[in-house]
Amino acid sequence: MSTIIFGLLLGLPVVGTILCAVFHHRKVLEAVTLTSTGLTFLSALWLVSTVMQVTVLSSEEGWWYADGLSAYIIVIVSGSALIVALYSTGYLRRQIRDGNVTTRQLWLYYLLLNVFLFTMMLVLLSNNLGFLWIGSEATTLATAFLVAFYERERSIEAAWKYVIICSVGIALALFGIILTYYSALDVVPSSGSALNWSSLMLVAKDLDPAVLKLAFVFVLVGFGTKAGLAPMHTWKPDAYGEAPAPISALMAAGLVNVALYSLMRFYILVNTAAGGSFASTLFIVFGLVSMGVALPFILIQKDFKRLLAYSSVEHVGIIVFALGIGTPLAYFGALLHLLNNAIAKTLLFLTAGNVRLAYKSKFMLKVTGAIKVMPVSATFLIVGVFAITGWPPFGVFISEFTIMSAAFSEGYAVPAVLFIGIVAAIFVGFIYYTARMVFGEPSRSVKAGEADASTLWLLGVLLAGLLLLGIYIPSPLQQCIQSAVHVLKG
Amino acid sequence: MDLTNIQTAELLIDIFAAAILVTAFLIVSSRSLVFYIRLFALQSFFLGVVALLVVLGYGETHILIAAVLTIAIKAIAIPVVLTRVIERIHVQKEIRFSISITASLLLCGGIVILADSVAQSILRSPHADATAVSRVLSVSIAMMLIGLFIMMTRRKALTQIVGLLTMENGVFLSGLSITYGMPLIVEIGIFFDILVAVLILGVFVFRINKTFESISIDSLRSLRH
Repeated sequence: MSTIIFGLLLGLPVVGTILCAVFHHRKVLEAVTLTSTGLTFLSALWLVSTVMQVTVLSSEEGWWYADGLSAYIIVIVSGSALIVALYSTGYLRRQIRDGNVTTRQLWLYYLLLNVFLFTMMLVLLSNNLGFLWIGSEATTLATAFLVAFYERERSIEAAWKYVIICSVGIALALFGIILTYYSALDVVPSSGSALNWSSLMLVAKDLDPAVLKLAFVFVLVGFGTKAGLAPMHTWKPDAYGEAPAPISALMAAGLVNVALYSLMRFYILVNTAAGGSFASTLFIVFGLVSMGVALPFILIQKDFKRLLAYSSVEHVGIIVFALGIGTPLAYFGALLHLLNNAIAKTLLFLTAGNVRLAYKSKFMLKVTGAIKVMPVSATFLIVGVFAITGWPPFGVFISEFTIMSAAFSEGYAVPAVLFIGIVAAIFVGFIYYTARMVFGEPSRSVKAGEADASTLWLLGVLLAGLLLLGIYIPSPLQQCIQSAVHVLKG
Repeated sequence: MDLTNIQTAELLIDIFAAAILVTAFLIVSSRSLVFYIRLFALQSFFLGVVALLVVLGYGETHILIAAVLTIAIKAIAIPVVLTRVIERIHVQKEIRFSISITASLLLCGGIVILADSVAQSILRSPHADATAVSRVLSVSIAMMLIGLFIMMTRRKALTQIVGLLTMENGVFLSGLSITYGMPLIVEIGIFFDILVAVLILGVFVFRINKTFESISIDSLRSLRH
């Protein structure tokens, strides 16, 4: 059965890619992508329900591997891919009608969306750390032309920076993986499996802690670049700002979590092998620095999507900070925050897409009076901003609160106070800019009316999810997170 | 000369590793883009030779394909692609520096010393005798750092690509030196990724050239904050 599940999760996006490569008709591209992302999401649900029963699922030859942690993240990633695919149909149809997008661009978009999903699945299902690396670099390459999608000066600039910075980061991560391999060569019986996560964990206590710590530093810089931890985050506002809104959403809700997943795998390994507080201190410092660096840029932002990108830097910081605290409660908070952040970011980027369609601009100075122009989207915008900045009754509040209590009960009082201060200041910046966009008088050139009424229900579903997670956590989700926490404990 | 003799192989590996480092220094002191690419091709060729020597001298046959791929992709295919890019865009072939050549070379000398001390601390671990070529580790770390240095101080789009590839060569050499290279299928995947990355970056160089009329990344300044 494991073969079937792995085959579906990896194969469906590949089939989607091939079909998109062959057929160029808009309706076929849409149908193929909706089917491939939809079936991948269903397979992910199948995976998670299987893993809940058998704990670990691994293919016979040992290439593929899934446990509570990977299954949980696969569900989040494939779920956001499905929502993005649903939104993209309406978004791109409108852009084609407006003459912003050619049919060739449309074809490339759907093709690369399928490739992107495949590369993320490759990272999440690889047992071999070398494959995990290959998949990570491939995610950058798959999204390069999506970031450069509009072929403006600024988008090519953003894509260039994105590929160069992430490739440098990931090259350093490869050195970290080689050092890990080196530390395991003598310990793991067959050298063929010395790169396998499953065999490394079995012998973790015999690995050389000094080499592994050095390896972790390189891996942290490398995958930290992919996740957008400060100070390696500089590509993120450019890439998120220039990519089409649904692609930014999938990068913020999918790709970020894929990079965090890679970091978590190495974190577990180093904690088991070296013990002590080496890795967790690094996580706490990088987490707080990321939150702190995001703050001034959020306060002076002119572009809403760049604002969201800095918010993504902040929330990656929050998750890494929580992982650094290292108690089961903190792990629970981190994983719950992963989900909350993914939903809220998708909601906000897609709403930003609607605003962009209506105003033809993502600059906040040009966007005023949205509540009169597009009442439904504007409501989602302002409510979504309250949700992402950690207000009750939304999910983000619950996970941030969990993380803070974990920090205080572990005696991290100073970091926890810093945490609260930064979150509060970021809220002020966010609300200031959003209120200016939503209220006031719209300029006369803007036509009233929702940009794309057919996708509003999607935003509703996302908001309902955030609200639900703020009120109570359904027990299947609870169990799922618990099994991921169990993996994180090593 | 008997290449399967361990001592001969060791000597030759040392010589070629030194030659790789020399090419990195020559890249740093070079002013012409064409030269950059030729030196990179030479560097990759030497790297392929080192890999071949590991195959011959130590019987690590699984590296053979990686060695051949290094020469085919990094010493031939990528330089050809990059040379085409230069010819097609009629770029001004002079490179401007943010640091003078003398200062650059001095800094790179410092980098080599730093790299050697990092390498020694890695090799101090209990299984330092994992491979017979671990001496080359200092060269490989120096290459990674020099690649990074090139990317930070040479502001042309194409020099950034060469800097990145120099880093990648360093990482490949480090794998060769302390682990006799990664498993073959992983190496093949890495080569594929690098080749695709260069092709994508090549396309971007064309587009940047079309929109900015120059391929200096100094003109990429519209995205701030």
